[in-house]
Amino acid sequence: MELRICHMYPDVLNLYGDGGNIRCMSQRLRWRGIGAEITRLPIGSAASLSGYDLVFIGGGQDFEQQVLLEDLHRGKDREIRAAVEDGLPFLAICGGYQMLGSYYETYDGQRCDFIGALDLYTVGSSTRMIGNYSFQCGESSGGSVVVGFENHSGKTWLGSGLQPLGTVLSGYGNNGQDGSEGARYQNVFGTYSHGPLLPKNPALCDFILLTALERKYGAAELVPLDDRAELAAHDEMLKRLR
Amino acid sequence: MTVRAYLAIALCKALRLISRLLHRGGTAMPGRYALRVCPELLAILARQVKTVAITGTNGKTTSSRMLEEAFTRQGFSCFANRSGANLISGITTEFVMNCNLGGRMQKEYAVIECDEAAARTVFGQLRPRVILVTNLFRDQLDRYGEVSHTLENIRVAIQGAPEAILYLNSDCSLTSSLAETLPNRCVFFGIDQGAIPSREKPALSDATHCIRCKTEYEYDYISYGHLGGFRCPRCGYRRHAADYAVTDVLAQNADGSSLVMRLRGEQALVEVNLPALYNVYNAAGALAAAVEMGVQPAVAIQALAGFQCGFGRMERFDLGGGARVMLVKNPAGCNQVIEFLQNIREPFLLVICLNDRPADGTDVSWIWDADFEGLTAMAGRLRQVIVSGDRAADMQVRIKYAGVDEAYIHQERDYEALIKTLAKQDLPVFLMPTYTALLELRQVLVRHCGGAEFWEQ
Repeated sequence: MELRICHMYPDVLNLYGDGGNIRCMSQRLRWRGIGAEITRLPIGSAASLSGYDLVFIGGGQDFEQQVLLEDLHRGKDREIRAAVEDGLPFLAICGGYQMLGSYYETYDGQRCDFIGALDLYTVGSSTRMIGNYSFQCGESSGGSVVVGFENHSGKTWLGSGLQPLGTVLSGYGNNGQDGSEGARYQNVFGTYSHGPLLPKNPALCDFILLTALERKYGAAELVPLDDRAELAAHDEMLKRLR
Repeated sequence: MTVRAYLAIALCKALRLISRLLHRGGTAMPGRYALRVCPELLAILARQVKTVAITGTNGKTTSSRMLEEAFTRQGFSCFANRSGANLISGITTEFVMNCNLGGRMQKEYAVIECDEAAARTVFGQLRPRVILVTNLFRDQLDRYGEVSHTLENIRVAIQGAPEAILYLNSDCSLTSSLAETLPNRCVFFGIDQGAIPSREKPALSDATHCIRCKTEYEYDYISYGHLGGFRCPRCGYRRHAADYAVTDVLAQNADGSSLVMRLRGEQALVEVNLPALYNVYNAAGALAAAVEMGVQPAVAIQALAGFQCGFGRMERFDLGGGARVMLVKNPAGCNQVIEFLQNIREPFLLVICLNDRPADGTDVSWIWDADFEGLTAMAGRLRQVIVSGDRAADMQVRIKYAGVDEAYIHQERDYEALIKTLAKQDLPVFLMPTYTALLELRQVLVRHCGGAEFWEQ
């Protein structure tokens, strides 16, 4: 067995140690004897996503956003929308998560059209929502408790038909108001938990890997790993947040 | 001088005295209260001295120490904010401690390192003759924001000091862009093509796209991170020729580097008494600023060969088979330390102390941007990785996923116990603490091995 993982825009969407998630997925596959082939898809590369089993998109700086949008609107946006509907698993974080939505409206009212693969939009605010936080994943996301770090000024609002990834236990989540965190649609996992989300949350990592493996091979199983170090880091943060 | 200024000076000196009687540092607090009494106190004192200000992401403290050493050897009377208190409060305290009760400065020169975010309020009051900008890398995103914000902060800060001469890293596309938008006279320092073997383009760069037109840069060579011979194929923005250039690195080992430098056309052999490539940059910047401030080149060169940096910058302690403490704050600096370790040829122990307090940055995500995978290339020599600090558990996970066998990773959060264990064995030890971890770790090290408290350094 093997998963072909696409790291989309690693050249510009790499702000907060997001590469840790790629590292985590590939190690957890390899430790189980499953192959992991990582392809970096930088700005300007061909749009096709047909050769991948899982796509990861991280968060980035405002500085490169314009470059990114130009690249998206050269056909990748259509490709991504089609892939999402086709059930290709995506893990999209922070800026990458916002990007999958319909649009971003800056604090001073400028509107930026995004991919529109998910029924959500983001509005800039004057305050940043920063800090360690935790949320309870819904059934469709494996049901684990996730600890992470968020740092965003955009407030994201989900369309009425869109499920959140989880419910905020402590911190802000999507907007600091409705208690929702992230979004869950088809096989897309979107979240504000930036950087090394997966290493400290092995249950969520395995759930996403399993989603990709089942889609590719029909049925799949992941043997348990020794996650004591990961869970110790997870539990310590959870305790601190209580 | 106003009555408020006299009062503020007296208050500041009194608070400092009390701090020291209580065995505290008292580096920032007295200045904070003094500024409340007299907000323009720093400006009043600073206009009496010739100041060099040092800012940038990495290398501020080391560059400052190098400059101070050069000034001292030249016989200039100077002071510096050696304690590392580099916000307006700490800088003000330092100025007050070097003036008399009548507000007259007792020294002619000041070497002041300044936090990148604080520069905005500090530079206008400090009015430095020279501003040295070491480099810009991503750093503590929860505090500084994106690196482009930090650059903008520094740009605005320098607008408050239009007469200052800027000393800019020619190899850093972010830093040297300051010359594009500011009217100040600029002098450049850097490492020329061919001085070191060019690196592969790193997987992670903090400046991939042109600061002017957002086209992807091309590189003639890379020294590390995004530093090197960059050029934009579209708008023509490119590395500025360095006035003070490292033209050859003759040797690099665990104790230092031997360089050939061109100092405004003159060739010179330069020995740097600190290892690692990032200190080559620090040396080039300090040398440039020292010479331009009137230090004779030969004297500045002696200073680089003879100085001790201390305070967690490759600082040595007599512990086990010899210990070195190397502060790490962000991916770029951390990668340089990991690269330094790759050149260690004998078996050694590594200690990593990760804290997430406000001064460290509360977001520890950056450890996943640093190339700890490089540790696996040291298998055989790297006998143990000990993780410590408030976020030891996160560091442990990071090292595990880097590919280090879990049997070699240990956790020890108690610095006393840690130092006792290290003292009992005879391998060399390298310790990588974040900033607040360094403060605590150093206290324990000083107690066990001797050495000065941080404010006495």
